Amino acid sequence: MGRLLLLITLLLSLGAHIFVSRQVWDTRAEARRSGEAAYVLPSRFSRILALGYQGLFSDYLFLKTLTFYGERQMLQKPLSEDDWHYLVTSLDVVTDLDPYFFDPYIFAEGTMAWEGKIAEANKLLEKGWRYRDFDWRIPYFIGFNYFYFLQDYEKGGNYIMEAAKLSGSPRFLPTLAARLTYYGGKSETAILFLKGMLADTEDPSFRATLEIRLLALERAAELEKMIERFKDDHGRSPNQVEELVARGYIDVLPIDPYGGQWILLKSGRVFSTSKFTTARKKE
Amino acid sequence: MNLISFNNVCKTYDPGLFKKKIQAVNDLSFDLQQGEVFGLIGPNGAGKSTAIRMLLGLIRPDSGTIFYKGRPLREGSIQQDIGYLPENPYLYDHLNLLELLTFCGRSSGLDADAISERGTALMTRLNLLEAQKRPLRTFSKGMLQRAGICFALLHDPSIVILDEPMSGLDPIGRKMVFDLVMELKGEGKTIFFCSHILNDVERLCDRIGLMNRGGLVRLFARADFPQNDGNTVILHVAPLSAPQRHDLQALGGRLRQEEGEMLLAVAEDCYHPVNRYLEQQGVAVLGGRSEWVSLEELFMGIIKEQEA
Amino acid sequence: MRGILSLAVITFKEGIRNRSLFGIALLALFLFGLNITVAGFFMRDIGKVTVDMNLSALSVAGLLLVFFVGVNLMAKDIDRKTIHLVLSKPISRIEYIWGKYLGILFFVFVSLAILLALSSATVFFLHGSYPDYFGQFTWSVFFVAAFFVFVKIALLVSIVVFFSSITTNSFITLIFSVCAFIVGSTIEEVLFYLRSSFAAKELAISDSLRHLLEIVSYLVPNLSVFDFKTEAAHGLAIGLDRLGFSLAYAAVYITVLLLLASLIFRRREFN
Repeated sequence: MGRLLLLITLLLSLGAHIFVSRQVWDTRAEARRSGEAAYVLPSRFSRILALGYQGLFSDYLFLKTLTFYGERQMLQKPLSEDDWHYLVTSLDVVTDLDPYFFDPYIFAEGTMAWEGKIAEANKLLEKGWRYRDFDWRIPYFIGFNYFYFLQDYEKGGNYIMEAAKLSGSPRFLPTLAARLTYYGGKSETAILFLKGMLADTEDPSFRATLEIRLLALERAAELEKMIERFKDDHGRSPNQVEELVARGYIDVLPIDPYGGQWILLKSGRVFSTSKFTTARKKE
Repeated sequence: MNLISFNNVCKTYDPGLFKKKIQAVNDLSFDLQQGEVFGLIGPNGAGKSTAIRMLLGLIRPDSGTIFYKGRPLREGSIQQDIGYLPENPYLYDHLNLLELLTFCGRSSGLDADAISERGTALMTRLNLLEAQKRPLRTFSKGMLQRAGICFALLHDPSIVILDEPMSGLDPIGRKMVFDLVMELKGEGKTIFFCSHILNDVERLCDRIGLMNRGGLVRLFARADFPQNDGNTVILHVAPLSAPQRHDLQALGGRLRQEEGEMLLAVAEDCYHPVNRYLEQQGVAVLGGRSEWVSLEELFMGIIKEQEA
Repeated sequence: MRGILSLAVITFKEGIRNRSLFGIALLALFLFGLNITVAGFFMRDIGKVTVDMNLSALSVAGLLLVFFVGVNLMAKDIDRKTIHLVLSKPISRIEYIWGKYLGILFFVFVSLAILLALSSATVFFLHGSYPDYFGQFTWSVFFVAAFFVFVKIALLVSIVVFFSSITTNSFITLIFSVCAFIVGSTIEEVLFYLRSSFAAKELAISDSLRHLLEIVSYLVPNLSVFDFKTEAAHGLAIGLDRLGFSLAYAAVYITVLLLLASLIFRRREFN
């Protein structure tokens, strides 16, 4: 075969390669989108299959989980019950392989806890605390979950006090428990908490998730502040959030980044029909 | 017409980053005639194997041209006519000789009958018939060498290139190969080989090229090394006077002084007059020798001269 | 052509008689045996676990075949100068590349076919023992997935041939090929992660980075394309277009690599 012929064949096949390659990547993207969440091998097997590279294996598995969540976010596709099952078991396996790995815990706190999987999140965090007993953030997360989501102030307080005992914990922790009990489930609390988490997070897709949530909460907190003012002026709470506009406290209602309608809870807390999760956004 | 000719061929190896380049072949020119046995000799690193690899197209000359049948050598133009035995051949471990020869025959376009016929003949010749079904990894060094020769000769090439064909062989093996080369020569094949064993080169070659430092130092024709070809008797004699020398030369003897010793070569048919003359003059015959000039001495001398 | 074939035949024979083959076969047998013993430990989805383990065992055995035997079949030729002998015959360098590729491919194919037969026997046995736990399992999807294990290995063989054609040392070839395998197996996860994380940030992903990702996705073989383990494990149907594109992807990638190897090999010198 002459060189010219060889070169021509090569050029032709390169063209074919680019074409097929593009097709294949598209098919893969489609398959990943429509495909069911992958199966996670239970950790008692993956520990063996990792052949001593448990750390590396857990890193890879965690990367996979992050990508999975990121892709669902990107496509604004709500996570199905199967997807959640995958996420929960996958994080469980990741932390079984390497229980000292902090990232899965913060990821679980940022996603699972906020989207209704509080018990699962707490279970995972408890495991983390057993190993990372030096890290104040884990009991702090658990404590927050009890305060903010479960309104169990006593348990929450205990966890935060535990966190405060650990070295490196911020000075405000001892007083935080008291403040949390006072503010209870107010948006202000969550803002503080989210800001703390953001400071600990590098992953761009997870940061984006947190930032949207922070924005929603800041807007809710703004509304809550106005409601306090309204209360001071009128001696009663407004019946609906819209009353704030009608009475001229604000010009226009801010938009819930999750696309829901603002609702006023009896506790005086402002919430949204979106429940601040992407999962219900399409509804 | 020359069958193969090297014209001012140069080759430099680049062993990689930060290492000095090695000039393996430097301005090498020589010709190979159809049907001759040409031996290339020289010290290690003289560039003999490089020359052979260039002829096979495994490497390309940096400058200069190699002609084959009057045309510049191109990939594949010589392969059909060539049989090559590398130095210390490494053959496939898990194959047996029969499979190796089948591969050789098939790739050269022989059919199954021709392969088995030629193969059996060659293996019988080189005493490998018993071992033909054994994996090659169980072969001894000498057996591998002989297997390599079978591999080179199976497709009945018109040019045979042998790189150190005698290395690793015992005296019997050497005899076998020697006879085989003589037979090939009888069949009119062109044989090109490198060897360190000068005795073999001397006995086999029509011409010898001496290589040193990548270049051809000298070419010898067969007439230049009149060794014992069976018709000449070489005697080691006591010192001779000038008139005696003159007389002996007149009688058909040839004389040579070597490190203070006198050598006398006499052709068989004029041996008697010379012998009578020696007896008359009372010249003592100190002994006989098998070779007129030892190539070794000759080459050492030339190389020393060149290095100086 | 006859050069390619005769070279492929001796390459195949040299490979199939390699002692390491016993080791690899033994390992695969061990994994199949393990599968039979372990199957009872699972409460449900025994079919899934069985298919998973069988296909993984095939894949691992294929990898070992390529890396421990395949690499030697070509790289050692060059390492030990046997190639001088081969190229002194009327076999061109291009024929050498394709002949070696076909020989190694045939060797891998035969070895994997034997292992697949054993593996099918395992699946058949477990299918018979626990018929209720095999859910939607279908043999056709299982064999398709097994076939794509072979396709993946065929692509890896072309990578080995390619690296053998540019390096002089079989160990370097091995290292390069293993690296290519690791990158190829993870590239999809990494690229999709990067894409999704940029989309999440709503960052206009910088042009140079996007081009870089684009180039990487063409250069590196995406080995996840050939992974149908999940489908086989759950007996899910696979679209014909996906199968077709995956097969075409492998065929074209192999052709490109071998053509490149041929081009490089033509210029190469063998000292």
